Amino acid sequence: MIPLPLPKTVRVLLEKEFKDLRRDYKTLFTTILMPLIMMPLLGFISLALVTQQPVNIAIVDEDQNRYTNPVLNITVDSEWLVGNLTYYLSKYGYNVSLANTTEVIYNPDVDLIVVIPKGFAVNASSLNTTAKITVFRKAGYQSAQRAESTVYSVIDVFSYNISNAKLRALSRLAHVNATLQALRNPVRAYTSLITVKGEKVSITFELRNMFARILVLALSFVVSPAAFYVIDGIIGERERKTFEFLLVSPAPVSHVIYAKMIAATVLGIIAALSDALGLVGYMISLGLLYGGNAFILIDYQLLLIHAVTAFFTILSTISIALPFITRTRGIRSASNVASIITTAGIIFFFTGFFIDYVKLPDYILYPLYVIPYVHSILVIQTYMLENITRSLLHILFLTVVSISLLIITSKTVNTEKIIVSQT
Amino acid sequence: MVLVLARETLIVNDLHKIYEDGTYAVRGVSFRVREGEVYGLIGPNGAGKTTTLRMITGLIKPTRGEIFVDGINVVKKPFEARRLIGYLPEEADVYIRLTGYEHLEFYAKLYGVEDIEKTVEYGAKLSGLPEEKLRERAGGYSKGMKRRLLLAIVLMRRPKLALLDEPTSGLDVYASVRVREIIKKYVRETGSSIVLSSHNMLEVEYLCDRVGIIYSGKIIIEDTPENIMEKYGVENLEEAFIKIVEEEK
Repeated sequence: MIPLPLPKTVRVLLEKEFKDLRRDYKTLFTTILMPLIMMPLLGFISLALVTQQPVNIAIVDEDQNRYTNPVLNITVDSEWLVGNLTYYLSKYGYNVSLANTTEVIYNPDVDLIVVIPKGFAVNASSLNTTAKITVFRKAGYQSAQRAESTVYSVIDVFSYNISNAKLRALSRLAHVNATLQALRNPVRAYTSLITVKGEKVSITFELRNMFARILVLALSFVVSPAAFYVIDGIIGERERKTFEFLLVSPAPVSHVIYAKMIAATVLGIIAALSDALGLVGYMISLGLLYGGNAFILIDYQLLLIHAVTAFFTILSTISIALPFITRTRGIRSASNVASIITTAGIIFFFTGFFIDYVKLPDYILYPLYVIPYVHSILVIQTYMLENITRSLLHILFLTVVSISLLIITSKTVNTEKIIVSQT
Repeated sequence: MVLVLARETLIVNDLHKIYEDGTYAVRGVSFRVREGEVYGLIGPNGAGKTTTLRMITGLIKPTRGEIFVDGINVVKKPFEARRLIGYLPEEADVYIRLTGYEHLEFYAKLYGVEDIEKTVEYGAKLSGLPEEKLRERAGGYSKGMKRRLLLAIVLMRRPKLALLDEPTSGLDVYASVRVREIIKKYVRETGSSIVLSSHNMLEVEYLCDRVGIIYSGKIIIEDTPENIMEKYGVENLEEAFIKIVEEEK
């Protein structure tokens, strides 16, 4: 029997639940293995697909000219820019071709067209004109947008080099010592990352915070399987005609509910850990693909806090859903109720990804404290800001709320409603 | 005030049930079941048989009336009473991923029986299912096997009162006979009381010492099957039942 400080009937029921669950490969696969596989798989597939998206770029060099500015004695050749663009765009996997005419914009297969107009070399080497390059991008393609940003980077570097050459020539002519940085960016700002306590931190700290935000978002993936497991445990068991037989035993209905909720929560917590491990796997795979050490971003204490938060978040969710679920007439309506509640949770966890709840003014934050999900978010957000005491207080609050809800809802479950709803 | 007579396992007194939607399911049902007696509760669909049985188990609260099982007030002490009751609902099923033995063990533990091993052994014997079948997952059992297993679960701990709601409903002739044999053998061995709800008059005639015919939530006649048949001048309970119900319409 399960050695837990629980009433004997709950332990007997839990034993049955776990035995049943262990043999329910479909549920185990969807709630445990799926998150573990899905996150890295999602990463690999999206990476693989991104690299497989063909982006066709055409470069039209209407200038085809090399010009040397007689005053500055610097030369600009449109072919150099064409060469730079072709080299870097090809390096990033884009298909680059040279076209003779701008008519190429009517070709549906070409996503991005770079037009170097006549007079480019003259204007680019001039002291009082600017050489203009036109980029035509097919609207609506993300891959074309990425290619466009590469084009702009190449042009920026090209422009910087010309600018540098012009400055050096002018300095020489004027017999002054000037640097490009001092002339182009006479004022610059630098950011130094610090913690709330004022201690300097590296960019890793920021990245770990991003990892924590993803964990907040990951909470939304664990509430649904647990809620639907409880639905199956109660309404499903009622529909499979096993519930009445169970309820007539000397075990109070609250014990039956406790056992089902504990089993669902254990399932949920394992799903949460699988989610987190899947995320770790995803980050490691990114590290392997792009280099860098993803392990430094993984905070195992945070993963533990995530698991504890997930446990009580699931418990709160199913405690809120339970009174409604037991009053429904079938799996479909019970699923609808659970969907509404889990969707509310997902919305909050989604906002937790973007909003710093700790920064919200008290008059907004305090009323939100009635929502258990806000505490789930705050547990992780305050922990990441190294406010461990506050993080623990939110865990405590979540614990008290979820256990109170569990006791209240399991005591108010009406056996008659469950039994009669089936007929 | 209810007079509790010795050797009466069940007393149902002026039982009423009005559901939340206003359905008046049971309207003043009263009957008593003696120790070792098999009492048949028969009636057409919707007469109130299942609601009455559910009220006896304490699963449903009566709107009015009293129920005593071995002197324990079911309404006031449902969990205490449930230890004395075994109930087989009409539409009960098994856990598909548990074996027959695991079912017997689970329910023996849940009911807190002292000697689990002996109880499971008795349950296995009562079910009449071969040992190798009991070691298989119950999801693969036939309907008749499932019913026999469930019946064995209800009876294995020898409850003072067993409530069997349509125990042979939906079973073929062979499976029905096996279930009836289990009930008959059990009563002979234990001397426990049984309330049996059924549409099968042959079964009621075969198993029941006394019969209560329930119609529109009321017991309209109560006697031994033989006396009822004699009173209505018919040769079987089925004919008597039809006559009685027709008279009531």
